[in-house]
Amino acid sequence: MSFLNVTLQLLNGFVQNAIVFGVTLLFAIPLGLLIAKGSMSKIAPIKAITRTFVWIIRGTPLMLQIFVVFYVPPLMARMFGVPFFGFDRAFKAMLAACIAFVINYAAYFSEIYRSGIESIPRGQYEAGAVLGMTKSQIFFKVVLMQVIKRILPPMSNEIITLVKDTSLARVISIPEILKIAENYSLEGLIWPLFYTGAFFLLFSGGLTLLFNFIEKKLSYYKI
Amino acid sequence: MPLLEVENIRKSFGGTQVLTDIGFSLNKGEVLAIIGSSGSGKTTLLRCLNFLETPDEGRITVNGELLFDGRTRSKKDDLKLREKRLHFGLVFQSFNLFPQYTVFENITLAPKLLAKEEIKANGSYLGADNYKDAVDAIDKKASELLEKVGLVSKADEYPCNLSGGQQQRVAIARALALSPDVLCFDEPTSALDPELTGEVLNVIKSLKSSDSTMIVVTHEIGFANEVADRIIFMDNGLIEEEGPPEQVIGNPQSPRTKEFLSRFNQFGD
Ligand SMILES: Nc1ncnc2c1ncn2[C@@H]1O[C@H](COP(=O)(O)OP(=O)(O)OP(=O)(O)O)[C@@H](O)[C@H]1O
Ligand SMILES: [Mg+2]
Repeated sequence: MSFLNVTLQLLNGFVQNAIVFGVTLLFAIPLGLLIAKGSMSKIAPIKAITRTFVWIIRGTPLMLQIFVVFYVPPLMARMFGVPFFGFDRAFKAMLAACIAFVINYAAYFSEIYRSGIESIPRGQYEAGAVLGMTKSQIFFKVVLMQVIKRILPPMSNEIITLVKDTSLARVISIPEILKIAENYSLEGLIWPLFYTGAFFLLFSGGLTLLFNFIEKKLSYYKI
Repeated sequence: MPLLEVENIRKSFGGTQVLTDIGFSLNKGEVLAIIGSSGSGKTTLLRCLNFLETPDEGRITVNGELLFDGRTRSKKDDLKLREKRLHFGLVFQSFNLFPQYTVFENITLAPKLLAKEEIKANGSYLGADNYKDAVDAIDKKASELLEKVGLVSKADEYPCNLSGGQQQRVAIARALALSPDVLCFDEPTSALDPELTGEVLNVIKSLKSSDSTMIVVTHEIGFANEVADRIIFMDNGLIEEEGPPEQVIGNPQSPRTKEFLSRFNQFGD
């Protein structure tokens, strides 16, 4: 097994991690906002349901959630005698992983958004209101930028955790990087397992630089 | 006809009556100072005028236009509400500038948002019939206001780089940018270090003119005495005494007023 060969195989696996990562960010960021709105709702049942949902998602292991999303729908389909749709197994696994990750991370993001939004002093809303701004103008022109600045550090933390969490996708046999390295080790080749660390470090290192850059961009003012 | 007429405003929070039958009127160009001890309802009154709180009862009329009537309370309509709000401006005790915008942007943000909609709805804003000209007019006005509050050199600074006194002067310019009929101040200097109160009070003094109508809630009795045309002393949600400064401060009739003022005189003002 040449070094280059292993590198290419691991890179192949890392593409799977990157897909889970990208899809999760793309959908969890907006979905989290929706959940945050629900958990701040003035309508008590909506608030209660959303908060319970967030509690369940944050209170159970992501791995368990991946299993649930992967195994429960086909079981249900069999129980009710409906044919479960006919994509190949690899696609179904990826879809299940992405759904589980999106839901899980949306729940975490929603709590970050909520604390960010709630940390903006009431005076900011009132200042906008007495200047004749509408509710949406106040949110988008006054509050949002301040919220973004506040949530950037916890969000970058969470996003870097996501990079590492993507390797959980192997529990439903997605050939992500750790799974591939594990296969090597079963054949007696141990070092690729440690080599995977370099991929994660490089990726999260890049993200850290990006977040630092954004944080610096936003440091022209203090809240 | 008075510019502002306030009649029988009542407001309670969860069973506690905070404002009881507040009524007064104000002519154009007059300055009204409201004094009174902590918890007497001064802030609540200003918040009612600015529609941050809804009174339980009473009427508010500006320029003959009935803005609020407790008997025929309409449901909250965001656009109607802001139209009413634009009759009033409010300068907060804690400034509440928008931290992510420069001084200049703080002043022009709301007028620019408003201009866009006014031009769409009525065809003009500040005499301009298109957005670009309106922006020019708004910028020009903002520069004039900055000059008025003495902060031309700070136009491109962010609020976090200004002293409290400077921030409050920006807040005053920001409120003036929308040309409210009545500008309200809620203890504009009480969050400031003593050496910074003077600059803010001087700006407020300099605004006094035949066409600017102001209501100033303040604990600065000397300032109220000097700048106000009329003074209201509030106690426990009621107007306890009202009149020109010579009367309310110089020769108070109510024992509550006397007691309140004596606390200030003890310290030699
Ligand atoms: N949103 C609210 N909910 C409940 N009670 C309130 C609310 N706002 C004000 N109050 C109460 O109303 C009373 C009057 O408050 P207000 O802030 O108007 O007084 P104030 O005269 O401005 O006092 P200060 O000089 O301390 O600013 C106080 O007893 C206060 O606790
Ligand atoms: Mg007050």
